[in-house]
Amino acid sequence: MTTIIQAQQLDFSYGSHQVLKNLTLMIQAGEIIGLIGENGAGKTTLLNLLLGVNQPQHGQLTLWGHQPGVPVVQTQIGSMLQGDIAVQGITVGDVLKLTARHYPAAFAVPTLLAQLQLTDLANKRLTALSGGQLRRVTFALALVGNPNLLFLDEPTVGMDVTAQRTFWARIAALKTQGKTIIMTSHYLDDIQQVADRIFLLRHGQLAFQGTFRQLQDQYRQVEIVAQTTLAASTFNNLPGVTAVDLTAGTLHLSSEDGDGTLQALVPYLPELHQIVIRRESLADIFVHLVRGASA
Amino acid sequence: MKILIAQLQFDFRRLVLRNTSFQLFTVLMPVGFYLLFTKVLITGTLGEKAQFAVGYLGNMIVYSGLLNALFGLATLLLHDRERGLVRWLQLTPNGICSYYVSVGLVTFAMNLIAVLVLSGVAVAVNHVQLTLGQGLGLTGGALIGQLPLLSLGVLLSFIDRAETLSALANLIVFPLAIISGLWWPLGVFPQWVQVIGKVTPTYQLNQLLGALMLHGKLNLSSLTGLMLWTLGLIIVVASLARYRLKRGGGVVQS
Repeated sequence: MTTIIQAQQLDFSYGSHQVLKNLTLMIQAGEIIGLIGENGAGKTTLLNLLLGVNQPQHGQLTLWGHQPGVPVVQTQIGSMLQGDIAVQGITVGDVLKLTARHYPAAFAVPTLLAQLQLTDLANKRLTALSGGQLRRVTFALALVGNPNLLFLDEPTVGMDVTAQRTFWARIAALKTQGKTIIMTSHYLDDIQQVADRIFLLRHGQLAFQGTFRQLQDQYRQVEIVAQTTLAASTFNNLPGVTAVDLTAGTLHLSSEDGDGTLQALVPYLPELHQIVIRRESLADIFVHLVRGASA
Repeated sequence: MKILIAQLQFDFRRLVLRNTSFQLFTVLMPVGFYLLFTKVLITGTLGEKAQFAVGYLGNMIVYSGLLNALFGLATLLLHDRERGLVRWLQLTPNGICSYYVSVGLVTFAMNLIAVLVLSGVAVAVNHVQLTLGQGLGLTGGALIGQLPLLSLGVLLSFIDRAETLSALANLIVFPLAIISGLWWPLGVFPQWVQVIGKVTPTYQLNQLLGALMLHGKLNLSSLTGLMLWTLGLIIVVASLARYRLKRGGGVVQS
């Protein structure tokens, strides 16, 4: 595998406010990285550094061995940032053709529009598009240069279900082509589905980097749901149980020791029905982490 | 070069062909004023009327340039920043340079269109006679005189709020047009207003065009005045741009 992004001990501050602290990471070609974190955790600042918009005050950052922002790097990058282009007097086709001119190996605009099911919008003015349509056009703008590395910042915000499906299908196709994708999203279910590795930023530091499975193993939370007539207090002191909720006969148990809790539940099984056991999703783990950090 | 050509096509389409406010305010409104003051609200002998029709053509060319710079260019630069175009082009491999060159050239082209339309109306309706030399001088003078006005437009575009920019542009354009004698002769104003009016770049440009059209001469003192305005404003614009660049801040919003 080829390392395309290498960051070592990056620090970045806006004035006296330190946004990124001692950040070290490596990204290989062909990976899909889910970059997650609370608002203000430093995700956008990290993207800014990778795009060459800002420079780190300390540390080393290279893309394909070059400084960020130099033309040889930018020709290989496509970015879909928050906020879409909505200038007056311009059609979708106009802005795509102009962008394509900047890249040596750009896609033919009509072909790309067809692939993204945007042909109908080609002659529409940007100002006449809905928020979701604009987002799709911004995705097309990110792709038109045929980039090897894609930065996608909240890509599916405002897209309807059909558009989201087209988007994710395209991401899957890009992965098979070996493209590298770094994606931020507050839709953590999507990140969980698609990301090879997850980078969790907290207060400007990398709190976790690894696969979703590794994250699940690290935060071994299990949720058990069942119908019961027993009292909630029955479960309060079972091993590993961190929260008990019993509403209208439906029991929700959260446990940080799934095996221990399940063994302790065995005597109560005759009184428990429709049992469902599930491991925590990325969203659940994220909430626990954020709560844990702010507690 | 191919990128600059693509950017020029892009900008010409949006700023000229599909820009109703340019067509209405920068071209048709000065034409309307020109016709109003030279055909409707005019008295005097035939000779006086003919001379006024020539002189007032210069006034409206200056007025059109003022509108183009302070409303057109300033708003354009702000909108392109606000609506993501500048950010987008900054992230392309070739950067933002071709955008600024293109916007500058298309703005000059817009001014040229306004000069040609106004001159065409003056010739067709008021039978104003311009020699080829006068026509070229008028066009060249108008474009050179546009430099300080465009610099002022760029300066205004540094304001980050569209509402503030619009209010300030109104506060500058109309008083400037009045005190530099574009609507009424400067002589009707009090002495102190005349003193201020004669320093303005719009007055200097009007004098330059008037001397070219009425006497076929180059007014060197007006040309010098315009160059000084241009130089001063460029220094201010460059200093402010450097300050903003130094202050930094991400292109990508948090």
